[in-house]
Amino acid sequence: MKSILQSKEMSIVAIVVLLSITLSFVSPAFLTFENIFDILKGNAVLGILAVGMTLVIITGGIDVSVAAVTTAVCVMAGKFLTVLPDSPISILLLFIVAPLIGVLLGALNGILVSKIQIPAIVVTLGTMSMINGIILYLTNGTYLNSTSFPKIFVDFANFQIFGVSVIVFIFAIIAVGTWYILKYTVIGREVLAVGGNKESSIRAGINFDKVQIFVYGYMGLLAGIAAIAQLSYTKAVDPNGLLGFELQVIAAVVLGGANILGGRGSIMGTFLGVLLLGIMQNGLILARIDIFWQKVVVGTIILIAVSYDQIQYKRSKDKLAKIEVEA
Amino acid sequence: MKKFLVTMLSLVLMIGLLTGCVSSNSSSKSGGEDSGKESGKDGKLKIAVVPKLVGIPYFNASEKGAIQAGKDLGVDVIYTGPTEADAAQQVKVIEDLISQKVDVIAVAPNDPAALTPVLKKAKEQGIKVMDWDTPADQSVVELSVHQIDDEAFGRHIAKSLIEKIGSEEGDIAILTGGLSAANLNSWIDGAKKELDENFPKIKLVSDKIATDEKQPVAYQKTLDLIKSNPELKGIMAYSTIAPIGAAQAIQEKGLQDKIAVVGTALPKDSKPFLEDGSLDVGILWEPDKLGYLTVALAKDLADGKKPENGQEVENVGKIEVWEDGKTVIMGPPTDFTAENAGDFNY
Repeated sequence: MKSILQSKEMSIVAIVVLLSITLSFVSPAFLTFENIFDILKGNAVLGILAVGMTLVIITGGIDVSVAAVTTAVCVMAGKFLTVLPDSPISILLLFIVAPLIGVLLGALNGILVSKIQIPAIVVTLGTMSMINGIILYLTNGTYLNSTSFPKIFVDFANFQIFGVSVIVFIFAIIAVGTWYILKYTVIGREVLAVGGNKESSIRAGINFDKVQIFVYGYMGLLAGIAAIAQLSYTKAVDPNGLLGFELQVIAAVVLGGANILGGRGSIMGTFLGVLLLGIMQNGLILARIDIFWQKVVVGTIILIAVSYDQIQYKRSKDKLAKIEVEA
Repeated sequence: MKKFLVTMLSLVLMIGLLTGCVSSNSSSKSGGEDSGKESGKDGKLKIAVVPKLVGIPYFNASEKGAIQAGKDLGVDVIYTGPTEADAAQQVKVIEDLISQKVDVIAVAPNDPAALTPVLKKAKEQGIKVMDWDTPADQSVVELSVHQIDDEAFGRHIAKSLIEKIGSEEGDIAILTGGLSAANLNSWIDGAKKELDENFPKIKLVSDKIATDEKQPVAYQKTLDLIKSNPELKGIMAYSTIAPIGAAQAIQEKGLQDKIAVVGTALPKDSKPFLEDGSLDVGILWEPDKLGYLTVALAKDLADGKKPENGQEVENVGKIEVWEDGKTVIMGPPTDFTAENAGDFNY
């Protein structure tokens, strides 16, 4: 019991619960089945990207090109959709093509980071800028809306299982799948090992380059899937819609207790981080808090969550050090 | 290894530089001829039109008008701006234009105050400065081209919403592109005035809600609004993106008949929503005409001609000039409905 209470996700669970209780008192609309799943649906894109980003951050890297890659896939997949026939095969094709483009773009980041050893932030800033420029050049900012998509895609986007949108299921599958990879597969353990201590893991025989290409490639894959979620969510392609979104993705991961310098992070934590950001955005409108104060409140809650987590972590480390001295 | 790194880095930087060249090239290309190099040798006037940002449908449409005017009137038009609605980036764009020695700069400021110093600098170099779309600091500009009389526009939108709701009482909400956008704010003020004066029973459920000029954000916030205000009767959405996001939420929840949405939307984007009634009416001016008018008046300004009230501008129509002699109003707004939305190509 104590170990659960002291686990690193506990602080953020506490804040999410506290916030939810307050909000359900303030607004009866908050704690309804519909609203909770609307929050999940609205933040599925954020969640999918944050799950991928967790892996990148665990290895001590960062990928600021996620929003750009997602938009690029959105634009290409959107164009692709307009020429597809109105049959279920189109959806299947979409699920092949979009992740594929994502993996290619992600792997490009991975290869630059690992083989040429340019710092991740420099590489991804570069690719972000390039991709954004190319998108703007290709699309010139024009929208595609649902009328240009085949009807089957609109049906897919509106598809619900037990009243829960298919987008939420995509998010859930990604989160659980990644959790499994991280916990039970060799490559997943290698990711954690590299994050924990790079030098020792290399000496233990882990191929560092391979791990890096894997995490960035995986990030790209998830960006491709996030693009499908984004397309289904907005049923339109907005080339500017995700501008600056990478900051929210990184914020969600860090809120979830990941250490931005690498080594620490979990899928559960990230999920909670996404949930916290989502609940805040939703709740502040439901609670009718003045628009200018909303930003202040968001900032305050983020600071509280992160400092609480950091203090907890430091304490547990201090304890660890003390035991060593005594022994 | 280190040497290799240095070479790689310089390569990356070089590529960066090159891409910079490419983008500036393409922007001047879109401005007609290769205006950057032969600075004014051919004697053609060079008019720079700076939008808030490039790459959104609205400013693409006004670009078309501006370029067309350049062709018709025999002037070089450089249409260039930042890729994000960011004041600092816009300052840089104007700095570049000053060093290109253009004759007139017409700017749609993202933040009027932030542009004042650089516009003063342009003036000192003998460049005529004017604003379009959104007013800049009035002490530095010689001409101010408005698409619309802001207050009248706001009032018109408010009246249209009341008409679509079909009753003079109830709860409504306002969505806006950004809290600091000067023109959006003055329209909203106009709309609020109209409501206060003529429709006292209409209640605003909250202060205006910012949607960051992004469709998914507008969609999400509208969903939240509907949930927290089950009695909501109508939504006014300002900025060309916000009405689309709001209409999408209404469409998805099937509330077309319960909640009226009126907003400043472009016809092509809003057509599918106008057709099923999730967006009741889009109200805006024709942005290509605004681009055209800006260039036409910029040319007159460079030639030393002042606009006159009631003047007929070719391809635009009659314009209105205020008593200060520099505020120009293009004309009344255009209503886009399910019937006429197909006639426009932006």
